[in-house]
Amino acid sequence: MLDLFIHILVPVAIFTFIAIFTLFAVYAERKIAGFVQDRLGPMETGKYGSLQTIADILKLLQKELITPLLADKILFRLAPIIIFVAVFTGFSVMPWSQDFIPVNTHTGLFLIMAIVSIDAIGILMAGWGSNNKFSLLGSMRAIAQMVSYEIPVGLSLIAAVMLTQTLNLNDIATNQGVLATEEIKFLGVWSIKNVGGIFAWNIFQAPHMIVTYIIFFIATLAECNRAPFDIPEAESELVGGFHTEYGGIQFAFLFLAEYAMMFLVSMLGVVIFLGAWNTPLPNMGALKLANWTTGFAWGIFWTFSKSLFLVGVQMWIRWTLPRLRADQLMNLCWKVLTPLAFLCMAISAIWRILVIV
Amino acid sequence: MNVDLFLFYAFATLAIGSALLVVSLKNIARALFLFFVVLFAMAGLYLFALADFVAITQIMVYVGGVLILLLFAFMLSNKELLNDLQQTTGSLFSLPTWKVLPLILFFLGIMIYGIIEWQQSTPAWMTTAIQNNTVIKSTDNNIHQLGIKFMTQYVLPFEVISIFLMMALIGASHLSRKDLQK
Repeated sequence: MLDLFIHILVPVAIFTFIAIFTLFAVYAERKIAGFVQDRLGPMETGKYGSLQTIADILKLLQKELITPLLADKILFRLAPIIIFVAVFTGFSVMPWSQDFIPVNTHTGLFLIMAIVSIDAIGILMAGWGSNNKFSLLGSMRAIAQMVSYEIPVGLSLIAAVMLTQTLNLNDIATNQGVLATEEIKFLGVWSIKNVGGIFAWNIFQAPHMIVTYIIFFIATLAECNRAPFDIPEAESELVGGFHTEYGGIQFAFLFLAEYAMMFLVSMLGVVIFLGAWNTPLPNMGALKLANWTTGFAWGIFWTFSKSLFLVGVQMWIRWTLPRLRADQLMNLCWKVLTPLAFLCMAISAIWRILVIV
Repeated sequence: MNVDLFLFYAFATLAIGSALLVVSLKNIARALFLFFVVLFAMAGLYLFALADFVAITQIMVYVGGVLILLLFAFMLSNKELLNDLQQTTGSLFSLPTWKVLPLILFFLGIMIYGIIEWQQSTPAWMTTAIQNNTVIKSTDNNIHQLGIKFMTQYVLPFEVISIFLMMALIGASHLSRKDLQK
């Protein structure tokens, strides 16, 4: 009975987290946009406009659900659910703190990569079901982009996994700090197991991991259809892309899925490359900073703050860089990121054989 | 009835039911999206065979690759061509009755043969495995085993498949390339 209760409680907790996170992220996004463009952003509702997103969500919840007359009604209704559920499922294998993970499975990382492809099906379903040319074009662009960018994401993750030798996200997280069960070395030379901190993160395990992380970051930015890779929903060309026809709570779910995806890929980057729940502070002589700042509550704090920082960087990039053209997008993916990722994978293989073991 | 058994039968019904719908639906777009449900339910059934890696690969390759390509091909193809395809006779089998009859009898024969041959008792290798405590549990690291097997016992089939996939890739890029000689 208790088991069943936990099985219900955990998804509810994750959903609540996603909802609250989205509320604050939308507000943050608009404030950051205001800051970048030298204006104030939302200021009317509440102090400094802090209640703006709550007002927005209340408006969306009250709205009538409009289905276009000639739309494929089943697909149209199902699409937002599938898109959201796909991203939501991804959170089931993410470690928050030491051994604090909804499902501790040996295939965690692989599962997340598969989950992202279900998201693509949902977008295609939304585009086709709307029976609107802008929606269809938007979803076609989205799929072309997501399918292409899955390759650099996958390859950069393989490059990292070759060093960690496991797909279990909990194990990957554990082996990046003072609690590591294996020997870890900073750039393959300096044994770091008792020092911990920022030097023990996967990104510093080998010199090419920094490049791998940059590839991963750019490619995941495209996976979530964020600017500068937002041609699927380019407002100036396609109205709203695949979600043109959606309104009310369905639109709210698409929005929720987009922000949940941003957080999911940021968190995945944190877990694989940036030390997961491990502290960035190293042990320095008598100053055992790493030991002091490692623990259950600290773990949640570090995961959360690192992921939020990355979400912030994503927003900063969105409002700084102009949108890429479709051909530039494909060029970047196939001619720059994919070969680089292959190179990183090859270096990882050599590094594993010659340096680590 | 415990949850495992319930889930197994739920996935099985989902797989069979939606597979039947896929072949009988006239709306190709919906049939293709329903194919996703079939693949997903199949992945669920693989999980019950403790093949979690295969289950996720199924979703990744078939849903993320093959199904999206099918949908793309469908959406980009000619409308008249699709109309021709969609004009089915309405019955499940479009063959005349005298042809269908032997087909059905043949499948019935196979099913009856299967039921007769099916042994209810646990096979010998299973009982010895249980006795020797060499049973794979759901918490075991199956990927580790899989990797070792691929690189030792099954290295030749594994390499042959990779070469085959490489050939398919080269062929695809050759077909899609514009002819420069013209």
